Amino acid sequence: MNLPAASAPSPEPPRARRGVRWLLWGALVALLLVAQSLLVGLTLSYEEARAQDRADAVAAAASGEMRRLVQRNLQSAQSLTWNDPPLTQWHYDAQEMLRQRREFLRMEMRDNDQRLLDAVETPFRPPLFGTMARGELEIEMHAACATARRVASPQFSRSYFVPQAGGLGLEVVDLCLPVDRGGHPSGYMIATLALGQLLEDASNATGAGEHELSLVEADGTRLVRAGLHRGSGVFHATRLVDLPGNSLQLRADAVQGRPGLIPNLTLALVVGLSLLLLGLVVVLARDVRRRSVAETALAEALAFRRAMEDSLVTGLRARDVRGRVTYVNPAFCAMVGFEAHELVGSDPPPYWPPERIDEYRQRQSERLTLARDLNAQREGFETQFMRRNGERFPVMIYEAPLLDRVGHHAGWMSAVLDVSAARRMEELSRQQQERLQATARLATVGEMASLLSHELNQPLAAIASYATGSLNLVNEADQQPGDTVVETVSMLRQALERIAEQAERAGRVIKSVHGFVRRRERSREAVGADVLIEAVLPLVRLQARKSGTRLEVECPKPAPRVWVDRTMVEQVLLNLTRNGIQAMEGDATPLDQRVLTLRVTQTHARWVRVSVIDRGPGIAPEVAARLFTPFFTTREEGMGLGLSLCRTVIEQHGGALDFGPAAPNGANGPGTEFRFTLAVPDPARHAAEPSAE
Amino acid sequence: MNSSPSLTSRFGLPMVYLVDDEDVVRDALAWLLRTRRLLSEGHPSGDAFAAFLAGKSPADWPTAPSCLLLDVRMPGLSGLALFDQLVERGFVQALPVIFLTGHADVPTAVAAVKRGAFDFVEKPFSDNALVDRIEQALLRSEAALARRADKRQIERALAELTEREREVMNLVVEGKPNKLIADALDISVRTVEVHRARVFEKMNVKSAVELANLLRPPA
Repeated sequence: MNLPAASAPSPEPPRARRGVRWLLWGALVALLLVAQSLLVGLTLSYEEARAQDRADAVAAAASGEMRRLVQRNLQSAQSLTWNDPPLTQWHYDAQEMLRQRREFLRMEMRDNDQRLLDAVETPFRPPLFGTMARGELEIEMHAACATARRVASPQFSRSYFVPQAGGLGLEVVDLCLPVDRGGHPSGYMIATLALGQLLEDASNATGAGEHELSLVEADGTRLVRAGLHRGSGVFHATRLVDLPGNSLQLRADAVQGRPGLIPNLTLALVVGLSLLLLGLVVVLARDVRRRSVAETALAEALAFRRAMEDSLVTGLRARDVRGRVTYVNPAFCAMVGFEAHELVGSDPPPYWPPERIDEYRQRQSERLTLARDLNAQREGFETQFMRRNGERFPVMIYEAPLLDRVGHHAGWMSAVLDVSAARRMEELSRQQQERLQATARLATVGEMASLLSHELNQPLAAIASYATGSLNLVNEADQQPGDTVVETVSMLRQALERIAEQAERAGRVIKSVHGFVRRRERSREAVGADVLIEAVLPLVRLQARKSGTRLEVECPKPAPRVWVDRTMVEQVLLNLTRNGIQAMEGDATPLDQRVLTLRVTQTHARWVRVSVIDRGPGIAPEVAARLFTPFFTTREEGMGLGLSLCRTVIEQHGGALDFGPAAPNGANGPGTEFRFTLAVPDPARHAAEPSAE
Repeated sequence: MNSSPSLTSRFGLPMVYLVDDEDVVRDALAWLLRTRRLLSEGHPSGDAFAAFLAGKSPADWPTAPSCLLLDVRMPGLSGLALFDQLVERGFVQALPVIFLTGHADVPTAVAAVKRGAFDFVEKPFSDNALVDRIEQALLRSEAALARRADKRQIERALAELTEREREVMNLVVEGKPNKLIADALDISVRTVEVHRARVFEKMNVKSAVELANLLRPPA
């Protein structure tokens, strides 16, 4: 499959399974082989049995035919001796018989002593005893005639071989018929028959073209044969042909040999089919194997995907085009607290807050009409879901169109992120940041404690002085006559006015410190840059006065307005001014040249720059490199948080804080200019949402 | 409280100099001093007071009993630096210095007292106690002024003496009787008596013991 991770099967269990599979396959193939071999064997044996049967049938038919032919010849020969004809008559009849019957080779007439009286030869052959005289071949005939006389019926002699001219010969048999005259034996008639011709006739009559017929002796010696082909000696059958006085063995031998494997059609068919079957099995095996590989891969891919879906902390939700939920993964269920079966098919889904269902429905329908433009949906959107316990929580949803196999838009797949934790973290981090900044503010004030006590001591001391003086006057007035009362009263009035004045001044100091330290709501407002500066000016003056620094504020009239969190930016201003003043303390800058300039300039329609410029010795490069590192400080009492916090604050406002030499050719060093930018309130935006972001 | 009439007796009205960078504090103190019948003059910084002192000499200034309330910590010339200048130029006898300090500066103020400052007062101060200390300082100033005036008178008287009278006077102070003086100076006893009477008259004393006390250098 196209999932790379799925193609790495675990090694152990499949080996056993594969062994079993191989065993099964082996058994199947073996079974197939056995079945096919049996089939082939059965086919072969059937073929053999048929051939044998045929041979038997041919042998039986031939022997029957043979017997019939011999019977007919016997009768024909007997007819010649009917009524004991005179010899001339017999001669004539015999010649006629020999002309009609080819199997008769010679006929003889002999007297009682078996002396030859007359002999007639067949007209179709040369004389039978041309090569060897008759007298040398009479033994079988004599034996047969003796037996015939004894049983008073025709007898066949044993067959014997008569050599012929040219090395050939004929296997013949003599038929001896006893001739009676008036109840007395008067002689014998002998007919010599060619066994070859007899067998030939029988063969022709039975149509045993596929078989070789032969006559054999009991010991297997073949006497004569007939048939066009040689027998193969495989399928043969033997039949006994009983003749009076003699019996012959007839043997039929099929020309067809042992059935071969290849040329046999049936067999070829069977073998072919077997091979085909085997091929099919192989193909099947391969297919099954491929399928099983694919199935394994698919199963693994599925498991992989499921594991992926289950392990995801991202909720997955699929919806059809009508907006009904068709699928949710466990993370989604865990997120909303509903079971999968409660969610699938629900409309409206139970995780929609009830009060917002209409709104969501409308949004959904809008999204569905947008579905034409499928690529426009990549950007996530944020919304609110409800858990089972009714708790609302923010989620981020990324949707992608779900396409079916043919690319038809079938719904939406959404990744749903629970961002409530992230929100909480953001909130926590914001709170910590705020706390840190508040701490830094407190630290700033702590660093200024002696300054502040001094600043408070002044008016308090003055008040105490006026009060004491007033008491002095009052005490004196008791003792003195009335003419000085007018003067005393005017002095007292003056004192009381001063007391009020100084009390107010002390109050202002307290207020400025309090206003600076107090944790205000984190809110941004449009405020004039001059207001910002004036807010910190009392505290700045406090420090400036101690070191004899003059303060110059350059701010255009009317002052540009900026969109800031006042507390934060005032802190930045105070930090930067304090740094500037401290840079000029001691031997760094002569008293008359200690000037700290606060400059506000509008650099851009949207940006206002605030610069804090001192005339100190400037910043050494090694210090400059680490200037914004938290907890880096060059002062003993400092926390080292000032500048890093300043930068954070300004960046949170979308501005930038940097620094550089103020006047590179200054008499006491280049001086330093710290400048930061603040955004001008955007009227379109901030009018709509006056307070919070 | 009760103003001390002695302060106005001999050298004119006493003067309190206030050197503090805080206008408010200066004004308030001035007003308070006024309720105690004391004149004051404010200077906003150490530099300003140094400028005010320029060209003045401890021999003829201040003419009236004075004291200086000096803030330790000021921009520019600090209180301590100014005090060091005053010590150097010999003003501190006639112009006792009371330091006004914040609590952080107490150790420095103590060191300054050891070097001749009259006192230090920690802010915030109890005002009438401060004024009392101011008056004590003024008394010391007056004493110093008186010493300075006496010394100047003796010097003037000594300048009026003739050579012979000064010789006679030296011997008288040594406690020698007239006879021995006459022998030593090779003049008559009578003449010695005349010179001695002229010396007593010119030095405004009635006895030789008084004359000796007058001429003894101040301890």
